[in-house]
Amino acid sequence: MHIARGLMEKMSCDHYISGRIFVSCWALLLFLMPSPLCRQAAGETNFKSIAKQIDLQLQASLEETDPIDDATFLSRVSLDLVGRRPNANQIRNFVHNADPRKRTTAIQQLLEDPQFGKHWGRYWRDTILARRADERALQLVSASLTKAVADRLNNNIGWDQIANDFITASGDVRGHGETALFIAQKGEPEGITAEVSRIFLGIQIQCAQCHDHPTDQWKREQFHQLAAFFPRVGVRRVRNEEPRNFEVYSRNKQGRGKKNKNKKSLEYYMPDLARPNVQGQVTKPVFFLTGHSLELGTQDQIRRQTLAEWITANDENPWFARAYVNRIWTELMGRGFYDTVDDIGPERDCTNPEILALLEKQFVASGYDTKWLLQTIMATAAYQSKSPATRIDSEAIASQPLRGDAIFNNLTQALAVPGADGKGTKNQKRLQKSRQLFVQSFFYDPSLPRAEINPTIPQALLLMNSPQINAFIRGDRSKTMLQRLLVTETENERLVETLYLKCLGRFPYDQEQRICLQHIASQGSRVEACEDILWSLLNTAEFRQRN
Amino acid sequence: MDRIKTFNMQQRLRDRRAFLRNIPSTMVGAGLLGWPESLALAAAKNNTRQRACILLWMAGGPSPYETLSPIEGHENGGGTRSIATSVPGIRVAENLPHIASRMEDFALVRSLTSKEGNHNRASFLLHTGYLPTPTVKYPAFGAIAAQQLGQEEGDLPAYVRIGSGGRLRVGGGLLGAQFDPFIHRAPNKPPGNTEPTTDLHRYRRRLALQTQLQKDQKLPTGVQEAHQSTYDKASRMILSSDMKAFDLTRESENVRAAYGDSDFGAGCLLARRLIESGVTFVEVNCRGWDTHQDNFAKTRQLTEQVDRPTAALIDDLKQRGLLESTLVVWMGEFGRTPKINARGGRDHYPRVFSAAIAGGGIRGGQIIGKVSEDGAEVADRPVSIPDLFQTFCRALEVDPESESISSLGRPIKVVEDGAPIEELF
Repeated sequence: MHIARGLMEKMSCDHYISGRIFVSCWALLLFLMPSPLCRQAAGETNFKSIAKQIDLQLQASLEETDPIDDATFLSRVSLDLVGRRPNANQIRNFVHNADPRKRTTAIQQLLEDPQFGKHWGRYWRDTILARRADERALQLVSASLTKAVADRLNNNIGWDQIANDFITASGDVRGHGETALFIAQKGEPEGITAEVSRIFLGIQIQCAQCHDHPTDQWKREQFHQLAAFFPRVGVRRVRNEEPRNFEVYSRNKQGRGKKNKNKKSLEYYMPDLARPNVQGQVTKPVFFLTGHSLELGTQDQIRRQTLAEWITANDENPWFARAYVNRIWTELMGRGFYDTVDDIGPERDCTNPEILALLEKQFVASGYDTKWLLQTIMATAAYQSKSPATRIDSEAIASQPLRGDAIFNNLTQALAVPGADGKGTKNQKRLQKSRQLFVQSFFYDPSLPRAEINPTIPQALLLMNSPQINAFIRGDRSKTMLQRLLVTETENERLVETLYLKCLGRFPYDQEQRICLQHIASQGSRVEACEDILWSLLNTAEFRQRN
Repeated sequence: MDRIKTFNMQQRLRDRRAFLRNIPSTMVGAGLLGWPESLALAAAKNNTRQRACILLWMAGGPSPYETLSPIEGHENGGGTRSIATSVPGIRVAENLPHIASRMEDFALVRSLTSKEGNHNRASFLLHTGYLPTPTVKYPAFGAIAAQQLGQEEGDLPAYVRIGSGGRLRVGGGLLGAQFDPFIHRAPNKPPGNTEPTTDLHRYRRRLALQTQLQKDQKLPTGVQEAHQSTYDKASRMILSSDMKAFDLTRESENVRAAYGDSDFGAGCLLARRLIESGVTFVEVNCRGWDTHQDNFAKTRQLTEQVDRPTAALIDDLKQRGLLESTLVVWMGEFGRTPKINARGGRDHYPRVFSAAIAGGGIRGGQIIGKVSEDGAEVADRPVSIPDLFQTFCRALEVDPESESISSLGRPIKVVEDGAPIEELF
């Protein structure tokens, strides 16, 4: 019974399920929602066995797995779960911890860290806003979008419910980040359609906007029938609010007045390519993957709610779960089952389909539990190996460049920038501004294949020459990280080791240790020599790569 | 894998060029060299010729009917009037008076035609000559020009993109990160973080240590090479006296005034300064041409930003004797529907669009191709995208047949098919 109480408490403080009404009757609740409870319990016990099955499947294609050391493991999972490397003490403690279950425990602890949701919130912010049609969306919805995802993931809300919230969202965009898709696409049905399909189904149906898809089975009507779920989504400015704000609302009545937006029709019209100046063909909402349809005249809320249910209903449409599993796998392993995370679909080649199918099935059974999925993939020997070769045809490890937030987190933590640990309010505004700079400079669209991501000259210049960063590299100024370290670590070998742990999240190799010690010996000033080492480490390729 | 392959290839090619420069020409004449060496020798010679290109990129797809191909008198023209130019018989839209007054320098290609109406794919096509495919990472033409014409001694990156390119995702491709464009968003001020924070001696010491430490790092294939080449380029650039090219305040008031104070104007002026400093390929971006609504007002605003600086650039290059060797291209990724839509806008239309080309030895004051009266069709002399890229190759003396090797080992030509527009030469 007390398990039920715990569940009840968790749910009643979760307003994310606000679309659904809860009856505060224990027995009834148990009857109504028995599955999440069972699913969760099952999920916790089965992730290791699923991980084993994956490894068995992969072994056929992997010659051998070369397991990573503890320090690299902790750095890898920390970067993947909370977007920052562990600090030097955490790594040393972890390495010395004799508990055989310590890797599993570390993952579980990181999953309970509030930074977990934030890290993945930023991932989705970058993913959704990368294809924005309106520049203003960046200012308006970045923060609330990150928070919307973060809160849900931290509260174990299933991916099906999160997708549902995003597809059916309304409200002011600064307060409700789940409206992001609509504000990013300026409320235009064509853009919304393309993004909903791309992000939640991994299918690029927008190629069918003007003509039947050249390489896929999708027809031009199917794109426009999907767009017909969204003609009544309205985006308008919130009056008299500063800073400027917008809201997403349901536009179920024809507006009056002369403004263009009032004249917008309540139904969707598929343009006539030969006659662009006329209104085109009125089009009924039809979901292309199942053929289910709604009638003309349906209210906006019902259109979107119904579509969300059809998209997330796994029994009829596998692409929702598949797209997510493939996306998360790609993010963790560097390579996915499909070449591109947002261009999968029935006519794309899939490698290791049996592993994908297994994960997909269990992910659905877990109640679309993101934490379960991450835990399972991270428990595989494949993930915990030096070269997470995830596919039969992959000859090398896929490159895993970090994005701006993680680079900023690592940099400020390594240099012990005041306020970087989130404590104290004094520096937070300035830090926020600097973070923006890094987010912009190191941005890449997370949906792109990693092979397309190259370092740029402005990034190199920022890390090499930023006066702010260089001030924190100094060892002769009071209260910098290096100044304190030079005092506490009297042994140079230990000093170099600590710098490696701080900057790269691993111990130095012998050769590296030697080069650094030589450098210290060859320079007149220990302080200057260590500044050089610190500067160099922050400017190596590895600093910008996931461990 | 592919990155390191191409990296090594480029290195080999460069070594070979350096070697070939010292070869007595008799050896070539005597046929002592195989064909790949002769090819590389030709490339080495090209290096001395200083050909360059400025691409004025109108992102979003400009309407031809409001710019280079007015269809006055037809309802599709939307009331846009045409004006006479400095060349009798050539008329352009009233929005471009400055370009009109330099028409003797411009050739207008009015019959460009393609099938790609998606922004990303069409922008890729008009930057590479190819449609994007998942298997081959086609390099931008700017990257090819940088590779084939760029000076090894040059301190500035050979390929620079000015202004925000929006969602433009095209660069070095299979040629590698070292041929990615250097992106400089705000031309009105020099790029940030270009001053080392230590003295030069120590800065070099740090770079050497960084290189040394990086060598031992175990990283996925290609990551180190890409990182190191970016750092090499970045540090070489900022330590160079050529950095002053980015400082527009060194120009006289008159010159600055001629270009105007818009970002695009500053971009054009910076492009000229960069070309003078030995940069091979400069793109200047102007966004906002995707005029699905209010096409006429929006196009007018954009042409106001673009017309004067474009003309000023031509004048300036001419005055400095650079126009002959510098190809200037004004274009976007496609045209716009001749019929005006219900929102007073024009939608994507790749079937007919136009470009203006000047400099690089091409003959100005002429029109290539013809648009039908209603603007919907090419009425005469269609010019395909490969034709256009063949033309660029001819003007820049880039061998269109030269090949790079894709990651799958397939040789990729600079341009596949097509023929240069002979009338321009």
